[in-house]
Amino acid sequence: MDFSSMASQAGGSNPKMPTEKFMDHFKSQMEQAYAQKFIELGGKCFDKCVTKPGSSLGGSESSCVSRCVDRYIEATGIVGRALFKANQ
Amino acid sequence: MDPSSLNTAEVQRFLNQEKERAMMNEMVAKLTSVCWDKCITSTPGSKFSSGESACLSNCAQRYLDLTLIIMKRFQSMQ
Repeated sequence: MDFSSMASQAGGSNPKMPTEKFMDHFKSQMEQAYAQKFIELGGKCFDKCVTKPGSSLGGSESSCVSRCVDRYIEATGIVGRALFKANQ
Repeated sequence: MDPSSLNTAEVQRFLNQEKERAMMNEMVAKLTSVCWDKCITSTPGSKFSSGESACLSNCAQRYLDLTLIIMKRFQSMQ
């Protein structure tokens, strides 16, 4: 996420930038970051679940993908907690 | 938060706060990606095995150890 461009837009060069415009910019940056994570997760689960791509996504493959997404989110929680625990 | 009530100082404080959060999220996301590849070798099941969750937790904490060693190494070079 590019905060430096936002900071300069909000402060220095153009202090009268409308707040609405600023918030729109902020939201689009958040959406971009979110989309990036989404693409990355697709790659991880594709590697694990679709080892031999067929003519369509099979039932076991789609259930693997949903389990994979659930586990990845769980893994994010475990890693986050481990980092914060060590930081204290 | 009401966007119309923001003045520049508030915007800066808000940005700094979000910047810190983004950095933290970024680190967690990066580490999750790395540790996922290291620890989850089989197809994902409906639950993590105790070995898998321990590996994920250890992986994150060992990464912190590594960061410390590298920092000390760099400091001793100066």
